[in-house]
Amino acid sequence: MTTSIQPNDVLAKAEALRNNLSTGFRDEIVKSMYSEAESIAHRAVKTASDKKYDFDQKIDRLVTSPITGLPIMLLLLAALIWLTVEGANIASDAIATVLFTLGDWGRNLFNYMHAPWWVTGFVWDGVYRGLAWVISVMLPPMTIFFPAFTFLEDLGYLPRVAFNLDWLFKKAGAHGKQSLTMAMGFGCNAAGVVATRVIDSPRERLIAILTNNFVPCNGRFPTLIMLATVFVAAGFGGLTSSIIAAATVVGVVLIGVGFTFVMSWILSRTVLKGEASAFTLELPPYRRPNVGRILYTSIIDRTIFVLWRAMQTAAPAGAIIWILANVPVGASNLAAVIAGWLNPFGVLLGLDGVILLSYIIAIPANEIVVPTMMMMYMGAGMMVDGPSTNEAIRSLLIGGHGWTILTAINLMLFALLHNPCGTTIITIYKETKSLKWATLSVVITLGTAFLVTFLTATIARLLGWA
Amino acid sequence: MNLLYWSILVLALALILFLPRVGLLALYKNWRTAYEREQVEDALKHLLDREQSGRHASPESLGGTLDLSRAKATRLIETMETQGLIESRGAELHLTAEGERWALHVVRAHRLWERYLADEARMPLGQIHGEAHRREHNLTDAQLDALDAALGHPTRDPHGDFIPTREGSLPKAEGTPLTAWQADRPARIVHLEDEPAIAFEQILAAGLRLGQTIRILERTPQRLILSDGENEYRLAPTVAANVTVAPLPESELLKREAMPLVELSHAQKAEIVTLDEAVQGFTRRRFLDLGLTPGTIIYPELQNFFGDPRAYRVRGTLIALRKDQAAQIWVKPV
Repeated sequence: MTTSIQPNDVLAKAEALRNNLSTGFRDEIVKSMYSEAESIAHRAVKTASDKKYDFDQKIDRLVTSPITGLPIMLLLLAALIWLTVEGANIASDAIATVLFTLGDWGRNLFNYMHAPWWVTGFVWDGVYRGLAWVISVMLPPMTIFFPAFTFLEDLGYLPRVAFNLDWLFKKAGAHGKQSLTMAMGFGCNAAGVVATRVIDSPRERLIAILTNNFVPCNGRFPTLIMLATVFVAAGFGGLTSSIIAAATVVGVVLIGVGFTFVMSWILSRTVLKGEASAFTLELPPYRRPNVGRILYTSIIDRTIFVLWRAMQTAAPAGAIIWILANVPVGASNLAAVIAGWLNPFGVLLGLDGVILLSYIIAIPANEIVVPTMMMMYMGAGMMVDGPSTNEAIRSLLIGGHGWTILTAINLMLFALLHNPCGTTIITIYKETKSLKWATLSVVITLGTAFLVTFLTATIARLLGWA
Repeated sequence: MNLLYWSILVLALALILFLPRVGLLALYKNWRTAYEREQVEDALKHLLDREQSGRHASPESLGGTLDLSRAKATRLIETMETQGLIESRGAELHLTAEGERWALHVVRAHRLWERYLADEARMPLGQIHGEAHRREHNLTDAQLDALDAALGHPTRDPHGDFIPTREGSLPKAEGTPLTAWQADRPARIVHLEDEPAIAFEQILAAGLRLGQTIRILERTPQRLILSDGENEYRLAPTVAANVTVAPLPESELLKREAMPLVELSHAQKAEIVTLDEAVQGFTRRRFLDLGLTPGTIIYPELQNFFGDPRAYRVRGTLIALRKDQAAQIWVKPV
């Protein structure tokens, strides 16, 4: 006669044995997997020479040394941004010409069919113009920035940047890889937020997400450059003026980077408190970049992805902008009335009502802030480019609308620090799956922007500068 | 006009007060139920704790632990008796089978949360007890099973206590209180009692942690002096009674001939002996994923210009680690 073993006996036995397992038994499992893999690799893979290895080591020493490492990094970043801004200018103009010509044809077609003026205006000067503007301003910089960035990524250089800068981020309670997501933020903050997936510890990843917006993206660079050239560098001639404009933009960017560290530090000691998680960073060998993959990841995964989200929010924004500019209120229009309400608050921050209203209705994309502002200042019925010369812009804003140098500087600060654009907010929500973090990202940036502009305006006024 | 105004106001007030689910009264009721349930669960834990240490709970001990007045404690006991969770036998309180099942459930929730907070959320050890206490209530068995699985079925909480299984089995605590340990014999800390919190804070402040190897240097009625080979620790005997120790396991013996990875000099080759026991959860998994397994050859190859982090060559790849991480990997130079 055999005694049968009951399942419960087995379970009970396992339960009893479990507590006697050494804590290292998981390590043993992983170890055995690795040794199995190693023995397979040993049979199948032959290493030819150490030449490649020595070459890699030489490059590594060069890019991580104190004397050459930092300059190489800054030069590459500067080149990346310069290439994007310069290259995008040409392409943007071409795309804008084509798209706006199409818009004219559409409007003519509607007129030919005797559509009411408000249907034509709403569809072509509102929705279509909003879409066309966002595409023409957003697409070119992204198609230049993303492939260039992906090139450096594929090359294997980017992890070295994280390695070089980790000590700084460690002090702020953040992860060294945040330097990469910040660099990505120069291209687009929404893409920067997505890029935080490379940070494997949840807390440090949230810090990187919430502070990414302090790095100005492609959409904000033209505004910063325009203000620096037209206002700050005004009165200087030729080369001096270019240098001063460039220095101003660099200065603003550095202020943003400074705020990133301060905010990371604050977050890691308040809402996101805890001990630093594992910092592990793989430094892969240098590889020849794969052009096909670069184009695929940068165009499909990044450019189209971001552009599609932006277009979804730009079309309604275009409609709202057109309605505000075309609904008459007495002798004026709705936009002017609301701007009038907002004006006292705007003045308190060293800005004005038109600027605040532009930022409210241009939440979907930072690219349309300036055209919306110009539309209201020039009394136009749709988004427009500003006057074509620097003198004309100055006389319109300073002469016509009471701007001072303080307005220009505070607008630069506000552009740098204000809330993330609609696309970025949606992306933060989708990445964190939490309304709380998306809201917090708006609160901390907008709060900082209000506080900083209010302080500069008040101090400047107390000192009698403005 | 005035009448209309007032009736609207009264109606609005009534709605705010009496609306089902979101009205103030409903909110208060919800809060009250949750509060009562928490009190019952805390009481059950107290009884279980007493039974395991071989003593029995009394209305006085219960009132003292839960910070309740005599009248309130009596009322709580009556409620729990009618629910069939406890029985009074003279001055002693006993758990019924149902009460014990529930108590083990709460203890399981508490210890699993502590494990999570320490390993995954990386919260400071002094804070996890309070946070786990807030989270341990109102959880179903299925929720706990999910948490248990996500953590990889841990057997002990971060203080060294066993975690009850779903079936409710809880192994007896092992080890000897530090005060009863023989001087000069090396011991490993297996448990740090987290209650009362003041004593636990003192243990943490002294710098003692779970898994540490120590030796008693001096024992007087006023204090205990301990050493881990490098630092000396001083504890009052009442505090030391909350530290439980056991004989050294094998991994500790390995560690004694090893040094932390962070102390290797440039390009000095070494073999990984073991990962420190203080490294658990997320960090340990990460280390293992990267191939930092015992027996692997590793050497520092690249130094950041500020000294931290440093990159190590392991299995042909270059992996950067911060100093505090590299201090948790024990190696033996080869």
